[in-house]
Amino acid sequence: MLKNSKKAMALLLTAAMSTTLLAGCGNKKDDNAKSDNKGGSKKVSLKVWGAQDDQALLKEMVESFKEAHKDKEYDISFGVVSEADAKGKVLEDPAAAADVFAFSNDQIWDLYNAGALYEITRNKDQIISANSEGSIEAATIDGKLYAYPMTADNGYFLYYDKSVVSDEDAKTLDGILAAANKANKKVFMDVSNGWYIASFFLGAGCTLSIKDGKQVCDFNNEKGLKAAEAIKAFTADKAFMTGDANEVLPGGIGDTIAAGVCGTWVADAIKEKLGDNFGAAKLPTFTCGGEQVQMGSFAGYKLVGVKAQTKNPVEAMELAEWLTNEQNQLLRFQKRAMGPSNVKVAESAEVKANLPLAALAEQSKFATSQKDVLNSYWTPAEAFGTAMEAKDYSKSLQEQLDEMVAQIQQ
Amino acid sequence: MEDINVSKELKNDKSLFFNALKKGNLITKLSFIIMGLGCILRGQIVKGLIFLALQVSFIVYILNSGWYYLSNLPTLGKEVQRQVWNEELQIYEYKPGDNSMLILLFGVVTIFAIGAIILMYVKSVKESYNCELIRKAGNRPPTFKDDVKNLFDKNFHKTLLTLPAIGIILTVIMPLIFMILMAFTNFDKTHQPPGKLFTWVGFENFKNLFFSNSKMSGTFVKILIWTFVWAVFATFSNYLLGMILALLINKKGIKFKGFWRTIFVLTIAVPQFVTLLLMSRMFQDVGPINILLQKLGLTSQAIKFITDGTNAKIFVIIVNMWVGIPYTMLITSGILMNIPEDLYESAKIDGAGPVTAFMKITLPYMLFVTTPYLITQFVGNINNFNVIYLLTGGGPNSLNYFQAGETDLLVTWLYKLTVNEQNYSLASTIAIIIFVISATLSLIAYNRSASVQKEDTFQ
Amino acid sequence: MIDKNKSNKNIKTGYGMRTKIANAIIYVILTVLALIWIFPLVWLILQSFRAEKGAYTTYILPKNYTFNNYIKLFTETDLFNYPRWFMNTLVVAIFTCILSTLMILGTSYTFSRLRFKSRKPMMNVALILGMFPGFMSMTAVYHILKSLQLDQSLIALVIVYSGGSALGFMISKGFFDTIPKALDEAATIDGATKSQIFWKITLPLSKPIITYTVLTSFLAPWVDFIFVSVIMKDNYQNYTIALGLYQMLTRENVNAYFTQFCAGAVLVAIPITILFIYMQKYYVEGITGGSVKG
Repeated sequence: MLKNSKKAMALLLTAAMSTTLLAGCGNKKDDNAKSDNKGGSKKVSLKVWGAQDDQALLKEMVESFKEAHKDKEYDISFGVVSEADAKGKVLEDPAAAADVFAFSNDQIWDLYNAGALYEITRNKDQIISANSEGSIEAATIDGKLYAYPMTADNGYFLYYDKSVVSDEDAKTLDGILAAANKANKKVFMDVSNGWYIASFFLGAGCTLSIKDGKQVCDFNNEKGLKAAEAIKAFTADKAFMTGDANEVLPGGIGDTIAAGVCGTWVADAIKEKLGDNFGAAKLPTFTCGGEQVQMGSFAGYKLVGVKAQTKNPVEAMELAEWLTNEQNQLLRFQKRAMGPSNVKVAESAEVKANLPLAALAEQSKFATSQKDVLNSYWTPAEAFGTAMEAKDYSKSLQEQLDEMVAQIQQ
Repeated sequence: MEDINVSKELKNDKSLFFNALKKGNLITKLSFIIMGLGCILRGQIVKGLIFLALQVSFIVYILNSGWYYLSNLPTLGKEVQRQVWNEELQIYEYKPGDNSMLILLFGVVTIFAIGAIILMYVKSVKESYNCELIRKAGNRPPTFKDDVKNLFDKNFHKTLLTLPAIGIILTVIMPLIFMILMAFTNFDKTHQPPGKLFTWVGFENFKNLFFSNSKMSGTFVKILIWTFVWAVFATFSNYLLGMILALLINKKGIKFKGFWRTIFVLTIAVPQFVTLLLMSRMFQDVGPINILLQKLGLTSQAIKFITDGTNAKIFVIIVNMWVGIPYTMLITSGILMNIPEDLYESAKIDGAGPVTAFMKITLPYMLFVTTPYLITQFVGNINNFNVIYLLTGGGPNSLNYFQAGETDLLVTWLYKLTVNEQNYSLASTIAIIIFVISATLSLIAYNRSASVQKEDTFQ
Repeated sequence: MIDKNKSNKNIKTGYGMRTKIANAIIYVILTVLALIWIFPLVWLILQSFRAEKGAYTTYILPKNYTFNNYIKLFTETDLFNYPRWFMNTLVVAIFTCILSTLMILGTSYTFSRLRFKSRKPMMNVALILGMFPGFMSMTAVYHILKSLQLDQSLIALVIVYSGGSALGFMISKGFFDTIPKALDEAATIDGATKSQIFWKITLPLSKPIITYTVLTSFLAPWVDFIFVSVIMKDNYQNYTIALGLYQMLTRENVNAYFTQFCAGAVLVAIPITILFIYMQKYYVEGITGGSVKG
């Protein structure tokens, strides 16, 4: 009676105990291990995160990194996390995050506040002098550097169909609208999107800043009102068209759309459509209170950060520096047409010859950093743009602006 | 076979534990220290060993990690991540601190483990005493085999419920408690682990929510009303129309029933997010539907399906019908088939027309079976994040709302306000409020419904 | 008996014409509805065969048709490993389906047929447990699974999808409630245990509801992209199809991969449709009608 069932039960018990033990062990505070970086550790294992389309390029760069650093043995693994998702994934489980990861610069405050970024102190001056001012500013908090700049092409500019809009026309918004109307085509801009609509306000001279952790926005002052008038005129024009910039613009250009505003990621699709008629330039000037004012924009960068909880900080930093050095930024440009933040590479003839990047570089002279934009900005700005697009003038412009700013500054 | 005296004592479950303390002999008393001892020594070896194993693993767990989490629970961590300058390597070395979120989570887990072990403990003592009493009466206590046999008959409910219960505790209840507790902390953007700690703040979040932001309350009311309207329309339109569709297909004389059903099921076979994204693209101002309508000359200007507030509201309800009716059709089909035919036949003989038959037989039957389902659907629609978010993103955004759009539900608004801001404590606070409202309404509706009251007497 | 037949015949001829017209109308309604329902799917299929790239087009019908989008899904796997994801999802779906169905049916049977002390309170608790709108619960579940060394694995997904499934017992319980208790009593008199009643009597009578449960549990892993994103994090190879497809819609990818996205979505619909067609035969009418007398 007891013998057989005893054996079976003994097995069951051992299984039950071991599972609970496993759970117990797994819960142990495992981030207590001291970082062993006394230099000379034999095998260094690092994990790198990058977007899916970057993986091939990353592998190549890591191979060259291993070649250049033969003194240590590296075990480098890869994970797929796009730059836009990086913050979320890192903060969900910092212990499982990569040692080196790429992220969009608007995430830097949140990562910093969570203590997830390693302060960069090695070769700091070199890095600062090698990269553009804007990119360094984007990676700096309180005067300290927290990431390595990788690309400088997260902004937007003007695309136009040369067969409809001449280079001369493309210099002013009114010119573009006139040319489009003549050919019965449209001018595209996603005005109901806080990212794009800011170009009018920033161009007119309004500002966004952070004080005491809250957003300060002056879009409802005189200059803002003039910009709002311009937006109203633009959206009321027959040729105005809106929609999802990433899909509608490349889908409709050359066909029903004569010109539009977007970033570098749609350049290939648009080039395919327009062929020789492909035109890219900085944003035009617009009529603001009777004068011609250059449209502003947001400037965005992709940065490479090192996780603060990494077990191999020195090696991680070396790898991050390698991935963003001059040679590799050039490689990234050549292979994936990504705009470099490295000054020398950006000045090179190759990069200058790339139309979209050149347009972006031109526009970046008038661009504002996105670092000082808090999350409370986006929805109200979008709401204002939506009202403009819907030609909803039930409230006066000043009223709507005041409402928008009130919500932004909450 | 049991002695009547013994069974009387055994049935008095509550006092069993204390009687064991008072009247049990030495071995039973020792069972208070070593779980399962009484059982082992009295013939219920397997059961006793199980208890003992549980005790050992629990102690191991506490020694390993449980104690750390439990002791830090009151403060949610004291050590912050620090940095120390290392001259040799020219970098800062980071000393990890406590992770408040993990402490909160595993603190909850540990408390559950403690609760579980206490239950097991009491049970083990009772069982030991049980054995003693049965032995005293001269009988043999039930063996493991007997226990197992019971599991398939008298205690079948325990068998069936074990796995689901474990699943629910692990994936639903523990995270739920974790989230509820979070509402009482200050886990937000400036208190993010691993760099920063967060700690208990009591009811401060609730106070802030109600008293600090007047702009929010106007929006809250508007969104609440729309959420309710949406839930009512979404739930009942799907239910009634789905049932009618099922009836149509089910009707005698309609051929190719399987074919018709399959066509409608096709729409749920494609993942919901694909169809929703497609719909939102198709009905854009510049989307294919508008292009088609303009080409056909039916309208001169684009119809603003999504960009106009009122239109958007109607749009989401209609698209939700498109998504949901196949489901309700399936359910109601299955139940309809279970309605005994003779009910309909006798009705026909009595001269009832189809409409009367529907109202007096079909509808009551369906309602009886599906009232709990309707309640869950209704509450589910109150929290229907997917449909709204993927179709319109909660838009069109309007300045009349505070950081919200015209099709926003409470949950999507919650998401925009708080998760984008990483203000998890505020998210949990609002969620608790929504939860309390929903739960109260449901419990009242459920317990007063026919389904529950006439449960045993339906037939 | 004979009288009934006669009166039936009379009723039949009287109703004959009306029924035919009624049926005709119903066919028309069904056809119209079917067209409305199918239309977006037809659009999806058209897009999946479109040769031109891009997500937005200014015209309705594709200019050129091609099979390329489908072919590329299986050949260009370095960027989007569709076949692997498909298998992942299929495996997870099958296991989730089996586990969930057992748990749901077991739970609903328990609450419907078996009587025990904490039954009513448990039902109330189960009703409200699902009502908490929870975003952080995913993180909690991830960490709990991680402590069991299960993170980033397909097993974790199966646990996540089936873990709380028993909370959806409402419908099945309602169904079981309508099965006459007389059946159970007869069986008990014949000496059957509760377990035997469940497997041998109740379940065979519940085919429609089993079909529904199986179908919805099978469906869940194919359509979820939120949970899997939290559980899998950067383990690209272990993604399921929904998350993988979602990646095709990022702003960098959408113009080049939209048509492939459509193709991928169409392929997902196939196993589910096959399953349903197979289970159609269980939607048989009036089963309980004769069994009590028998």
